[in-house]
Amino acid sequence: MKRRISQEGQDTEVDLTPMLDVVFIMLIFFIVTATFVREKGIEVLRPDESEDPPTESVVAIVIRVDESNDIWIEERIVDLRAVRANVERMRAENAESPVLIQADREADTGIVIGVMDQARLAQAPAVSIATVE
Amino acid sequence: MLDVIFIMLIFFIVTAVFIKEPGVDIVRVDAETDGPQNRIAVLIAVTEDNEVYIDNREVDVNGVRAMVERMRNENPQGSVVIQADEHSDSGVVVEVIDQARAAGAPSIAVTTLND
Repeated sequence: MKRRISQEGQDTEVDLTPMLDVVFIMLIFFIVTATFVREKGIEVLRPDESEDPPTESVVAIVIRVDESNDIWIEERIVDLRAVRANVERMRAENAESPVLIQADREADTGIVIGVMDQARLAQAPAVSIATVE
Repeated sequence: MLDVIFIMLIFFIVTAVFIKEPGVDIVRVDAETDGPQNRIAVLIAVTEDNEVYIDNREVDVNGVRAMVERMRNENPQGSVVIQADEHSDSGVVVEVIDQARAAGAPSIAVTTLND
């Protein structure tokens, strides 16, 4: 018994084929399960309830989206494409003012995110979303 | 050859991220100021009918927090991404955002159209 093992150890090499099979199968498994999820997204901010109330010098630009998806800025209905120009104009008066979107609970997410996108295009420093009943 | 295969194997093991997709189709919002989202820990879908889906299951809005907390255990640094349909109610989406924030998610994003 002892002799046979020592003889085999001398003139045979380790057979790597079974290990290679296993490694191949693992490789194929990981290639197949690899999910490269590429999601693009827009980060959303929510006003902090614990935050200090805003000081008087910083007046937020309020954009309201009502339940029929109309966009209101300063008591006027505004088209989605005009939001950027309006925000830019209001930011010219006060560059530091954050933008607050007051969305009705039943307003479409597409419109609200669109308004947010437009406000961000106008280089607004902080755009946050609040909901109203 | 074996070396190369081993290196490939290690690469795929290391990069393997097992993101649990919500498994529903939604119409994405188009936006211009979006950016790629890396290190996604949790994907939440909000459909047109305001149903919330996580990991192929419909979840009540109030159950989102517990689900997000549990799934964030596996990837604590990852962000929460919400796949919101264009026609879903913003109230539901905002509630989901609040729940995810309560679960301690570092950043929350809404997915947009891939172009």
